[in-house]
Amino acid sequence: MGGAPAAFSSFAKPGAGRRALLLVARIGLGAVFIYAAYTKLRHPWMLFAFSVNSYQILPEWAAALLARTLPWLELLLGLLLVSGYQLRCVAVASSALLLGFFAVMLRSHFKGLGIDCGCFGFGEKLGVRTLVRDGALVAVSLAVSVAAFAGARSNRLRPATTSEDPKAN
Amino acid sequence: MARHDRKTFGILLVSAVVWALGLAEPMLPQTRVSAAVSAAELTALKAVGSKSAPIVIEVFSDFQCPACKRVYQETLRPVMDNYVATGKVYLVHRDFPLPMHNHSREAARWANAAAAIGKFEKVEEALYTKQDAWSASGNMEAVVAAALSPAEMKKVRQVMSETAMLDAAIDRDRELGLQKRVTQTPSLFVTRGAQTEALPAGGLSYSLLKQYLDYLLKQ
Repeated sequence: MGGAPAAFSSFAKPGAGRRALLLVARIGLGAVFIYAAYTKLRHPWMLFAFSVNSYQILPEWAAALLARTLPWLELLLGLLLVSGYQLRCVAVASSALLLGFFAVMLRSHFKGLGIDCGCFGFGEKLGVRTLVRDGALVAVSLAVSVAAFAGARSNRLRPATTSEDPKAN
Repeated sequence: MARHDRKTFGILLVSAVVWALGLAEPMLPQTRVSAAVSAAELTALKAVGSKSAPIVIEVFSDFQCPACKRVYQETLRPVMDNYVATGKVYLVHRDFPLPMHNHSREAARWANAAAAIGKFEKVEEALYTKQDAWSASGNMEAVVAAALSPAEMKKVRQVMSETAMLDAAIDRDRELGLQKRVTQTPSLFVTRGAQTEALPAGGLSYSLLKQYLDYLLKQ
């Protein structure tokens, strides 16, 4: 159980390679969110509402509300991830959202609902492939979250360099 | 003489026409339902509403599938009452019998035979309403008979003898479904103008579909 956090913290250690990896992961995750939002927003919201409703979790009014709002939230998270603004909060929010999606998808898969995933537009059946993909996104998002927190902590611990510091000149 | 000949010819002609009609009349239903109805024409006979309606909904379904029954009763019936009856939607039934359902093809044959005599709607409703009964027993003939008059049932039985034609009509629908990547039932396709959308399976409810149809009608 302790292996995963250790792996994340080693990923989060400061270093050019790791920082580059974090940047790629953050921008990649952001792009995925933006694309997911685009595939939903280019259609009338009712089509996504059918997808949400097919999971048989929410009452119909809530499915309709979620279908109207979720794509905009995905777009916002995507843009914030790409920009890097408030990264810790945004990374935690995206991890929570993806974990929620993953749990719901897992439940529907094991219940054998045979529904559309609704992840990136329509017509993609929920199955092992979509679960693996969503699981991978959860892992990347968690890694970005841990790296964002670890990066912020190491920045705080690092001594500030000033012009009075002889080593700095 | 020539005038007399013309008169005789006229009488003979009228007699021939009367004789031909007299013979043809009892054969008329049989001729109409068997030879005249092709697999392609059956497709049109399995549709309800006006062909000039602005929206076309194609439904690929299996008469033995419980989800199809639910969508028919809870979603499509209200659509028929509120959108098909008012000329806004043209609803097309497509057969997509799934291999896992042992009586679904036979049920589709009965529905197609009923379509050939213009009684598809009645039989479709009966098959879905009594789905539990005939799915267990396999006896859908009694269900169809209860939905039709004896004369209509006689005609339907005549058409049922043409298994090859009925299977061709069903396979034609199924092929169309495969081309559209249908893998499960019910699968709905909504067309407005040149744009067709496949509706996500599973979450179809009348109130959501109503909002979608109203949205499309405003376009």
